[in-house]
Amino acid sequence: MTPARADLARPSAPRLFRKVLVANRAEIAARVCRTLREMKIASVAVYSEADRGAHHTRVADEAVCIGPPAPSDSYLNMAALLDAARVTGAEAIHPGYGFLSQSAAFARACEKAGVVFIGPSAESMELLGDKASSRRAAERSGVPTIPGVEGVARIEDALREAEKIGYPVLLKAVGGGGGRGMRRAGDAGELRDAFESARREAATAFGDDRLFLEKLVHPARHVEIQILGDGSDAIAIGERECSLQRRYQKIVEESPCSVLSEKTRAAMEAAAVALAREARYAGAATVEFLLGPGGDFYFLEVNTRLQVEHPVTEMRSGLDLVRAQIEVAAGGVLPKKPALRGHAIEARLNAEDPYHGYLPQTGNVILLQWPAGDGVRVDAGIRQWQPVHAHYDSLLAKVIAHGRDREEARRRLIAALESLALLGVATNQAFLLELLEDRAFATGETYTHTLESRAWPGPDAVPDEALLAAAIALQAPPDASRVGRDDADRYSPWTRLGVWGRATPANRGAGGGGA
Amino acid sequence: MSRRLVLHWSGKHLEADVSFRDGGVTLTRDAAKVEASYRREGAWITLTIGGVTHRAAVAKDARGLWVSCRGRTWLLVPEGREGAARGSADAPDEIRAPMTGRVVSVAARAGDGAREGDLLLTIEAMKMEFKLTAPEDGVVLEVACAEGDRVDLGQLLVRLKPSAVEGETA
Repeated sequence: MTPARADLARPSAPRLFRKVLVANRAEIAARVCRTLREMKIASVAVYSEADRGAHHTRVADEAVCIGPPAPSDSYLNMAALLDAARVTGAEAIHPGYGFLSQSAAFARACEKAGVVFIGPSAESMELLGDKASSRRAAERSGVPTIPGVEGVARIEDALREAEKIGYPVLLKAVGGGGGRGMRRAGDAGELRDAFESARREAATAFGDDRLFLEKLVHPARHVEIQILGDGSDAIAIGERECSLQRRYQKIVEESPCSVLSEKTRAAMEAAAVALAREARYAGAATVEFLLGPGGDFYFLEVNTRLQVEHPVTEMRSGLDLVRAQIEVAAGGVLPKKPALRGHAIEARLNAEDPYHGYLPQTGNVILLQWPAGDGVRVDAGIRQWQPVHAHYDSLLAKVIAHGRDREEARRRLIAALESLALLGVATNQAFLLELLEDRAFATGETYTHTLESRAWPGPDAVPDEALLAAAIALQAPPDASRVGRDDADRYSPWTRLGVWGRATPANRGAGGGGA
Repeated sequence: MSRRLVLHWSGKHLEADVSFRDGGVTLTRDAAKVEASYRREGAWITLTIGGVTHRAAVAKDARGLWVSCRGRTWLLVPEGREGAARGSADAPDEIRAPMTGRVVSVAARAGDGAREGDLLLTIEAMKMEFKLTAPEDGVVLEVACAEGDRVDLGQLLVRLKPSAVEGETA
């Protein structure tokens, strides 16, 4: 426990912070601010020059500019963040996820500056955040791990080890996360091809080119356990299944996992809690497992922070995980292990084109309508008129639906996504709907390879209602008395752009003079 | 009076005849006629087609007309402005960096022919590697970057000369 925390330790009635700085952006920054407001703690948002006026800066009590758009100059700039905390008088920093949330150096810098880092100690972060040491910790606590070796530096070693373990194998960056530096190899030839690019990606992304080589479990589901620790004890709050991933980035998450038996769930929870105790973990963390076809499960990694998909657990447990993080950081006690009810599914709305290599999309949000309804939650990261840049992660918002059972949650999520309207930036909304309506998803046949092993055609035509809506929108203003006449057209920019042509063959294609 | 609506969506050419009357509209597309009554409130349009009600949101920007209906969104682009839909400053034959990042490998070479979907180059940005592919059949005119280069968002990477000009056959 850090000295700053020890000062505050008063288990029965923790002295909560008066003001907390949120060292993040977009939906997670806004989501943390919401809990701070509920707890009557003042919130400080930070923003880069590219995020001036962004949604998250408007839901906080104060907002401070911390530098230029590049993450290294702003959201990853420890000095600027600590300066912002000092200037605003924030007593604690919530790091959200991504950016500095898993930086032991930042946790130490906070401690040195006399600011409480809302998260685990630098030591438990180092123990669990590094793939090699977390795997050793898992082995010490009796948590099953995938057969493999760490620190493979040369292709010759990789080939020899792969022969021992048996193909297919997976290469992963030792210091990695989020799928960067991960490569699959089905045979020695593929391993030769994958090795260099995995090493290169590991070196550029993490400044560390050491690789793990391990057995590939197939078909596998990604199942993770939410844990909450107070530095000595820990509780597990059920699982989330996050098998639907594109390039190892999760896209739809749910709880419970539709195939997990009570026995396996209990074993996974016990393993996660053992690991948290071993690391004397304080705060929220997620222990990720691969679930094999026979109900066998293997430790993957620990995320020593709040996860993007934490609302799925919140919807089922009624627990506010951000509040729990803040209370633990302030020296409070762990909540009781909550009962979990119903089923929750989350969909990530990303500014990306899923039908063309998931390329990030940019633009200005010119119309925005979030869904609402029973059991529906939206964690929004943007507001209307906000520009979407390519500087940052493409996540715009998360839509989460809860129901009594999986089918009710699925139907509610589909209805929510169908009533969501976001214009001006292309998103993966249609793809999310295609996925949720797909037979494989409806029947719970979700594996880590599901998204990439199939073609997802997407909408292939513009339906009549959309074309009719376009025709009406391009028509003269609704109050014009002489709808459809030539005078109305003269004032429409769309005429000059050549949208409307006369229905005579001679004039077709001649209307584009102004373009 | 019937008028012809000409729009593009995702490389597809759309044509329909449209005629308005009080609170109603008729769309004729590929010889099929659709009649609808409608109500418009700002950006929201409520349409009734054959007893079925549809609600659509519409808004324009420099790239075209965005229409959202039941969770699906279409960017409909007026004739002659197809290039604008591909992104901020992209002309139809210019492949630009979708993110600030680093060029990992370059597959395209000036003078080579490329089929739609062929890999041109791979760049590595924030979270992953992106494979940039040829948007249509053509010939590579210029490769404006090299392996290992740092590239800025919107920077020109490859110029491609399309082998056929679209829209001449209607």
